[in-house]
Amino acid sequence: MHMATVLTINGETKSFDAPPDMPLLWVLRDILGMTGTKFGCGIAQCGACTVHVDGKAVRSCVLPVSAVENRAVTTIEAVGSTPAGAKVQKAWLEAEVIQCGYCQSGQIMAAAALLATTPNPDDSDIDAAMAGNICRCGTYVRIREAIKQAANGRQS
Amino acid sequence: MSGKMRILASIVVIAIVAVALGVFIIRGAGPLDFAGGTKVALADYRAGKPTGVPAKLEKAGIVERGEYLAKAADCMVCHTKPGEKEYSGGLAFKLPFGTLYSTNITPDKDTGIGNYSDQDFLNAVQHGKRRDGARLYPAMPYTSYTFMTDEDVLAVKAYLFSLPSVRAKAPDNTLSFPFNQRWAMIVWSAVFNPDTRFAPDTSKSPEWNRGAYLAEALAHCGECHTPRNLGFALDNRRKFAGAITAGWRAFNISSDKTTGVGNWSDQDLISYLSLGHAPGHGSASGPMGEAVDNSLSHFAPEDIRAIVAYLRSVPPQASPDLPATTAPVAPASHRDGVTADARGKQVFASACASCHGWSGESPVSPMATLTGTWAVNDPAATNVAQIVISGTKRHTPDGALSMPAFGKAYTDDEIAAVANYVTARFGTKGSKLTAKDVAELREQTAE
Repeated sequence: MHMATVLTINGETKSFDAPPDMPLLWVLRDILGMTGTKFGCGIAQCGACTVHVDGKAVRSCVLPVSAVENRAVTTIEAVGSTPAGAKVQKAWLEAEVIQCGYCQSGQIMAAAALLATTPNPDDSDIDAAMAGNICRCGTYVRIREAIKQAANGRQS
Repeated sequence: MSGKMRILASIVVIAIVAVALGVFIIRGAGPLDFAGGTKVALADYRAGKPTGVPAKLEKAGIVERGEYLAKAADCMVCHTKPGEKEYSGGLAFKLPFGTLYSTNITPDKDTGIGNYSDQDFLNAVQHGKRRDGARLYPAMPYTSYTFMTDEDVLAVKAYLFSLPSVRAKAPDNTLSFPFNQRWAMIVWSAVFNPDTRFAPDTSKSPEWNRGAYLAEALAHCGECHTPRNLGFALDNRRKFAGAITAGWRAFNISSDKTTGVGNWSDQDLISYLSLGHAPGHGSASGPMGEAVDNSLSHFAPEDIRAIVAYLRSVPPQASPDLPATTAPVAPASHRDGVTADARGKQVFASACASCHGWSGESPVSPMATLTGTWAVNDPAATNVAQIVISGTKRHTPDGALSMPAFGKAYTDDEIAAVANYVTARFGTKGSKLTAKDVAELREQTAE
């Protein structure tokens, strides 16, 4: 038996039963039904499961749910309501970044966290922030371009 | 006495003195000699009970008491091969001169210790002597266990005999000459095994004496944390000064304020020993992680406090290769701070940054914070490379946090590069590991 866990996800308080060592990703997908965040490798090496905790991009697949109590979790479902997230999503559509799409919620979360702290990133900033987000379709060129568009607010 | 006899007698006396002096110099101090107080036989000690189990188990049966003591002595981790049945042996110890395999200590009569009498078991644990008379190699820390009381050793036996028998024969050792000569251990043992039971020190508190018994007789901290002498025995002149064991660095745990644990708070030490983590001091991994998981995390709180009281009393020993202070938090941006190793930075960005952050303060959990740990402040980067190779998993009351093993994902070159980058960015002095160094580190680990 364990106590109900209470999390703040996308500004809403969610209460549920889960073992304290259950990864946040499992809670999001299997308990709360928020399937926008994807499962990729399960060992924090592909970036598909990226969410924000207190505004920072983290891998939810290795993060025990007990570690995020009393911290603000933002997922792909609500990142569009943050200024950086909105710009990223718009640029993503304009640059037609997505191919199969599986990694893209993670890519968008990582890019939004980057722009929130570094409004005008250069290539090295993009490398440092995005290197852990892998795309099997190889959309990296368009990801880089879309991040720059989002930063400048310019049209393609 | 004739002149000839007189000369002969003098030579004999000189030889005896020389041998005695040689033994004294080589053997050095005993593990508790630093305390210096008056030692009394256990039976004559009235101030407390340093041996046995904690108060809450005092009335428990012998098997339950033996379980506590077997965990305190951490028998399981060496006597179990990963993936095999508990206590069934077969774990490989890779030494520079060959490989030793741990024995099956389940009660199986053919391949385990099922035929051991009480005296056979005491002989093995306290004197390093197998049932067939052969001598044990000191990979089995009987020079520590020799301090255990007969009662405690036999409680461990009762516990082991309560476990299911497992039929499993350990592989034969592959030691080269002259190390394959077991009989030579008779001499080694005569010089280096104190072969004496724990004697309390009346000048110290009962808590200290309990801590001394736990740390020396059971937990055998010194087997990893005390450097060894030329005879591969513990050099207690440099007690707890730190050493390399099984390819990992066991850091200085003497009371030295800069490179030991002299400046750790009681709470930090308690937390590190019982949970494997203390804020700002990193998380136990490798062999210490195993010691926490299988042994120290099962200690009663008063026993952990006793070990802390004992540790505090061990004289300071400096580690001259470590910096006087650990490095502060690194800059939040990847642009600032040390960026010398471009390959290392690339690996760090791909594989490490999402959990450890560019500042070294983890956005995920304090357990993954690199800032302040000795591992990243060690210019040899031994433990950084090892944890990258083998990963780690820490259990806490709130759950588990793990780091994946990258040993099969990255080449020795890449692991050297990321270790050099990490020590330069988050430590005081960057390491200079090469691919060859990493390959050697891989060779030294137990499994």
